[in-house]
Amino acid sequence: MTSWRPTPSLVRVCLLGSGGLVGGLVVGLDVLVVLAAPFVVLGALGLVGRPRLNPAVHTLIDHHRLHEGQGTASRLVVDALTDVEHVTRVASAAPHVVTRPAYGACGSLVRNGLPTVEYSPRRWGRRSIGPERVALTSAWAGWRWGPIDVPEHALVVLPQTAPYDSTAEVPQPDGLVGRHRSRQLGSGTDFEGIRRFATGDRLKRINWPVSLRTGELHVITTRAEQDAGVWLVVDGLRDIGVSGGIDGAASTLDLTVRAAAALAEHHVRSGDRVGLLVVATEGSRVPLGSGRRHLQKLQGTLARVRTEVRSIPPERLDLGANAGSVVYVLSPMLFAPLVTATVSLQRGGASVVVIDTLGEREQRGDRLALSSLAARMQKIERDARLEGLAALGCPVVPWRGPGTLDTVLQQLKQRARAPKVRVL
Amino acid sequence: MTTRWRILSPGLTRSGLMLRALLAALPCAALALALPEVPHWAVVVPVVACSGWWAHTPDHLTGAVALMLVVGWWTVHDVLDWRILAVGVLLVAAHVVATLLSYGPATLAVDPRLALLWLRRGLVALVPLPITYAAVQGLDADLAPSWLWMTAAVGTAALLVVTVGVTRAEPE
Repeated sequence: MTSWRPTPSLVRVCLLGSGGLVGGLVVGLDVLVVLAAPFVVLGALGLVGRPRLNPAVHTLIDHHRLHEGQGTASRLVVDALTDVEHVTRVASAAPHVVTRPAYGACGSLVRNGLPTVEYSPRRWGRRSIGPERVALTSAWAGWRWGPIDVPEHALVVLPQTAPYDSTAEVPQPDGLVGRHRSRQLGSGTDFEGIRRFATGDRLKRINWPVSLRTGELHVITTRAEQDAGVWLVVDGLRDIGVSGGIDGAASTLDLTVRAAAALAEHHVRSGDRVGLLVVATEGSRVPLGSGRRHLQKLQGTLARVRTEVRSIPPERLDLGANAGSVVYVLSPMLFAPLVTATVSLQRGGASVVVIDTLGEREQRGDRLALSSLAARMQKIERDARLEGLAALGCPVVPWRGPGTLDTVLQQLKQRARAPKVRVL
Repeated sequence: MTTRWRILSPGLTRSGLMLRALLAALPCAALALALPEVPHWAVVVPVVACSGWWAHTPDHLTGAVALMLVVGWWTVHDVLDWRILAVGVLLVAAHVVATLLSYGPATLAVDPRLALLWLRRGLVALVPLPITYAAVQGLDADLAPSWLWMTAAVGTAALLVVTVGVTRAEPE
């Protein structure tokens, strides 16, 4: 319970004023009376302005779910502002959250409105914002209530939807509806060819110019349009590098999560069914789904990815993906078991693409230091694993944003169209 | 590993820095008005030290100590000329600046509207200064009736009791 207490300013003027009065009137010191007179006025006015009510204070934030880089405002609610002249708020610094004002301290006269603190998370994840201290001051700075601690607010920060688009089609679409061209003929709008009319063809598909020229009825054939099952496998086992948020350098987990978010958004908007598997200590799995609500679920799951040092990579990835699915494995591929699991998926018939999220990292410091040597050895091993994956027919592409997967997906599509020879 | 001393706290605003510099200078300037008579070092050193610390921590009691030392020196030397008015203005200005700075931490920017409000309040507080100066200069205390001093003493005591009673912290 906090009560109104005299401010140091009031104590100061009371000491000077009362001391001056006592010294001047009782002892007869004229100079003291003259110098103390202004402080008597200040002290009297400060004492008179004592508020009677104990207010209750809490804060509200405008949003509880944001993308990194977006902002929200924290608003103060005070239930009894009678006799309160000034409000001061000081927000604590939180990792990967910037505030406006820069150091989180703001104040204003009550008649000009209560001060507002703006927050902007700079990195995805679960963030706590708004643990702050609030103090109220009465008129003439006589009395102060607080500072009291106001509890924090939890904020889910979704990964930034990096600009991503792809003109390539998914290699083996297997659904019933969607934007991808099927290998089968069907009732889509994409032109396939013209052939002679056969029993069962729809009359509206008759191509009259060709029919008149040839003297026989011809119809237009089109390709069916299908959706695809797309799986995103996110490697949350380690986070290499220091994250500077969206304004600074990206760690491997930053690249992985942002790339996964971009791919998820792209494919959901294309009408595909997207699933997610997070490989981490507390891994999670989102089954295939589509639509805006499903996209939010995927982004929310990505925002909860956490790494732990003692994470153990899995021997196999249990996706439940069928042969027509496309699997994006987003990983810096630092663990051999994850590579093995990826190869197993590839052999299971899925179209697997490994997206390398290690990024460009400069080796700093002494090249002969143990840590530098270890990092170089790890990189050599990693390169060997990636070469092995490529040799097994699993394409590996570094994440570069828009168009990263165009060439790879086109190659996979051509490969899917090629006749397969099965040796018995 | 070397330790670096930071004189200025991070996030200190320019307005805050200027006001702190002013706060450190004002009590010293009030004492410097005594020149060419140089106050004793036993007064100068504590005033400078307390003013500096007051500028660093505007809520600290050292501010009251600095002001009391300055007031005490002028009282002891019984200088009752125009300089007393200047000293009074400087001391009230120091108090107002410290009050402005004590609304929040060093990272809190000084609100211009609050500063303007306190400028007006400072001017209001200065109104009794020339009045009491003129009264002390023009009136002869020996001619005042004896009951006046008794009443003033009782009134002062009553004011002190009321002040102590009002400022006493309430039990939580």
